[in-house]
Amino acid sequence: MTPITGLPLTPPQAPALANPLAPANAGGQQFKNILLEALNQVNTMQGQANEAVQQLVTGGDVNPAEVLTTLQKADISFRMMLQIRNKLVQAYEEVNNIRI
Amino acid sequence: MLPALDISTSALVAQRIRLDAVSSNLANLNSLERDASGNMQPYQSRYVIFQTDEALETKQGAVGVKVASVQTEQIEPLYRWQPSHPYAIKDGPKKGYVAYPNVNMTAEMVDALVATRAYEANIGAMELSKNMAQQSLRILG
Amino acid sequence: MLSGLFNSTTIPALGEVLNFAQARHTVLAGNIANVNTPGYRLRDLSQTEFQQRLKEAITASRTSAQAVSPGLAYSEPGDPMRQVRSSLENLVYHDNTNIDLEKQVAEMTKNHLLHNFALTVMTDQFQLLQSAISERV
Repeated sequence: MTPITGLPLTPPQAPALANPLAPANAGGQQFKNILLEALNQVNTMQGQANEAVQQLVTGGDVNPAEVLTTLQKADISFRMMLQIRNKLVQAYEEVNNIRI
Repeated sequence: MLPALDISTSALVAQRIRLDAVSSNLANLNSLERDASGNMQPYQSRYVIFQTDEALETKQGAVGVKVASVQTEQIEPLYRWQPSHPYAIKDGPKKGYVAYPNVNMTAEMVDALVATRAYEANIGAMELSKNMAQQSLRILG
Repeated sequence: MLSGLFNSTTIPALGEVLNFAQARHTVLAGNIANVNTPGYRLRDLSQTEFQQRLKEAITASRTSAQAVSPGLAYSEPGDPMRQVRSSLENLVYHDNTNIDLEKQVAEMTKNHLLHNFALTVMTDQFQLLQSAISERV
């Protein structure tokens, strides 16, 4: 299970700065990929947590403390993703409201 | 969940059986019992043999306890001179003596105390196991 | 769509675990109450059978397209979780003539821990769904 630290909190600025003549879409493309990958990670963690709980209640050989930790990790990464999504939506609305 | 609870429970059951044996010994300080050939013999102390219970073994090697068997002592009885007693020995070197149980009351009382302390200690261990499980629910906040 | 909302979570399975834990609690309490009754045979609910049925129900609900939801009044007739409930009615009788009070209390304790665990996890899952719905972390 890879930790979610692979997600940078700011979109990568370096490619845009290094080549100012490059199309602005390049940075956006990378950011979109990072976001999708993070969503996949959150989904995987949720699936693992569900699997762990199901194994415990059907008599599997798992430690209850481990199951609870897995659950909490999945919870926190989900809430982190939710918060990131909220901020993105907020930023989009702000940009929309810029009066030309 | 929590094999420690099963292990502690096996100890509680074993210690209670031990206490039963001690109670039996103290109650029968002056009794006679019928032996295998039908004669009345003085009561002999009962003692328990503890053994690890492999049925309760966990992966890490923790085992429970069980009472393997309850044994009877074979020690010399106490003799008292009572020639008119119905159970006095009729002939031989001990003629006129009556055989009484030779139960060591002090040793039995100490055994009872040890069994009680062990019972309490196992209950304490069970409380801690329960506490650990409850506390681990706080992981979820 | 709304009844399928809980499909992807463990809420249906945990609901069945809660049912089982509460039913077993009653049976064990009956055992403890009858500790001095002559001729009383120990009763219990088989945990292995319940776990087996639950496992089958979970696999069945993954492959079926129907919604799986707990609750006697609201679950569909073809709900796989319904089959788990029949394992709550099969009492297992032990042949012991002497009831070990410590064992019954220990079983009740373990049952209690299982119940609290299932309840806490289920509450947590509900809270997660609510935070997703309200978009508030």
